[in-house]
Amino acid sequence: MVRVRFQHLLKATLLAAFALFFIKLHLTGEISNYINPKYEIMSIIASWVFLFLFLMQLFRIWERGDIHIDCSFACSHDHKGETIKFINYAIILFPLVTGFALQPTILGASIAANKGSILPHASLVETHDEMISNENHMKEEEYNRKLASLAQADLINMSPDMYSSYHGEMISNPEDFAGRKIKLSGFVYKEQGLDKHQFILARFLITHCIADASVLGLLAEFKQIPDLKEDTWIELEGIIEVTMIHGQVLPVIKASDWRILDEPIDPYVYPVLVKIV
Amino acid sequence: MDKLHSYLLDLTGLVVFVIVVYVVMFSQFAGEQVLNHLPNSFQQLNTIFLSILIEAIPFVLIGVFIAGFIQTFISEEHIRKWIPKNRWLGIFMGCVVGALFPACECGIVPIIRRLVAKGVPIYVAIGFMLTGPLINPIVVLSTYMAFGNDAKMALLRMGIGFLAALMIACIISVFYKTNQLKHAINNSSSNHVHHHSQTFLQRLEGMIKHSIDEFFDMGKFLIIGAFIAAFVQIYVSAQSLLLLGDGVIGSTIVMMGLAYFLSLCSEADAFIGASFMNLFTPTSILAFLVYGPMIDLKNTIMLLSVFRAKFVFALLVTITAIVFIFVSLIGL
Repeated sequence: MVRVRFQHLLKATLLAAFALFFIKLHLTGEISNYINPKYEIMSIIASWVFLFLFLMQLFRIWERGDIHIDCSFACSHDHKGETIKFINYAIILFPLVTGFALQPTILGASIAANKGSILPHASLVETHDEMISNENHMKEEEYNRKLASLAQADLINMSPDMYSSYHGEMISNPEDFAGRKIKLSGFVYKEQGLDKHQFILARFLITHCIADASVLGLLAEFKQIPDLKEDTWIELEGIIEVTMIHGQVLPVIKASDWRILDEPIDPYVYPVLVKIV
Repeated sequence: MDKLHSYLLDLTGLVVFVIVVYVVMFSQFAGEQVLNHLPNSFQQLNTIFLSILIEAIPFVLIGVFIAGFIQTFISEEHIRKWIPKNRWLGIFMGCVVGALFPACECGIVPIIRRLVAKGVPIYVAIGFMLTGPLINPIVVLSTYMAFGNDAKMALLRMGIGFLAALMIACIISVFYKTNQLKHAINNSSSNHVHHHSQTFLQRLEGMIKHSIDEFFDMGKFLIIGAFIAAFVQIYVSAQSLLLLGDGVIGSTIVMMGLAYFLSLCSEADAFIGASFMNLFTPTSILAFLVYGPMIDLKNTIMLLSVFRAKFVFALLVTITAIVFIFVSLIGL
């Protein structure tokens, strides 16, 4: 006779919920608040795999008593008490509940503070002005053109796609940029030990997922103490000058003009990946 | 009978669908209700926690499929035939296969659990586990890029990592001869029957079912590990770790601790490691890069679910000591 197997029903439900969760992330675009969009294809495939596993699992809910095909699984997997089983499924359910219930938050100043001092981290950024040879966010010529424009343009515009590369150049050779005009946006981060006239205008760089985020920041300096709270997003224009902080030569932006922005939909920046054709 | 079965399938499909929709609606409703009461730091923790999971789950799925494949299609005889009788040769082979095998650490534990259950000696499996996530093309490439297209760090990471893995596997082989599995995963007798009596399609079906169970077995430990890693990121600042040390030894310990608790994917950790270049010595960065893929918090919890706690602890200590000694000997 047929009989229902409650555990298998539970597993099928959870698999369906996982599939739905991944699909939801893509439909709402929330996925880009969790991982670098470059890796989205992996999670799209995952949602299809979950759907497929869900369908396969459906067959196991009603198992005919006379045939016992997957005996080896029954032997090899645990035979624990009901409470432990319940806890096990509750753990699996937990990320689904919080995933559906809570909106992803955007990383802000409090996380930046946990990552430690931002300014002396010059060497991180040197890495990102290099090209990566297997992804196609940007064609090589386009990248080179944009990188070259950094040396000539009247106004250095720190667009999100080139943010990490430009930032890297500036941190490693600040002298080359002294006296240049710059326009950039980011969130306000007040690091300890800075003057009241100064704060860091920062953005998070995401390599894979939010967990590996690192902070790219440039020091900004104002004539008057600006009335800005931490985590406020602003667009800033100013002139780059060179200063010494923590025994290191760093660029500082003397602010001439700024305005408050809404938090952007794409708050993060990603390492530039160049397709070599 | 068959007709009844197919009706039942339709019906249950519908039931499951209704449950899922209900759970989703309820979560969203509950989310709106409690959102204002949750501290902001918990929401950030949740975001990081989910991002680790979203990133890891595709790799875990690959891992459980491979585990399912091993379980269904590879028999103990195959294993006995393939693995050299000689212990040292076996270890060497385990490390080389791991190096060639493009695994990620999220998916490796289910694979080695199946291998060990199928009769692969524990030390061979450990060699495989250590080099699998550490040495593969993507990791080489990302390390090369992260250190400003300087091949030195990438080469050292692979070279030291491989030697350390060999050494660790040898030490394990001296002390542990048995499989160290917590519960004897017992599939020897019953499986043989399947292997010969089932058609290819039936075996494929069996493989998928194993993969599903494996996913649920391993999934919960991945979830716990990801949660703790996210917790550490939110509530422990890097600055407080700095208090521990500034010398070569101190900073190496700090970086290894970071590698352990952050539980980063070995494909992404090079960029994080590089970001510490100004704070710490190159030796300690190398320790971070070698140690992280071999063992971390997330994997320890997954290992604890499979192997005896004593063994996991001994393994953890051995890996830590060997990586520390090897990296210090290089002394960058």
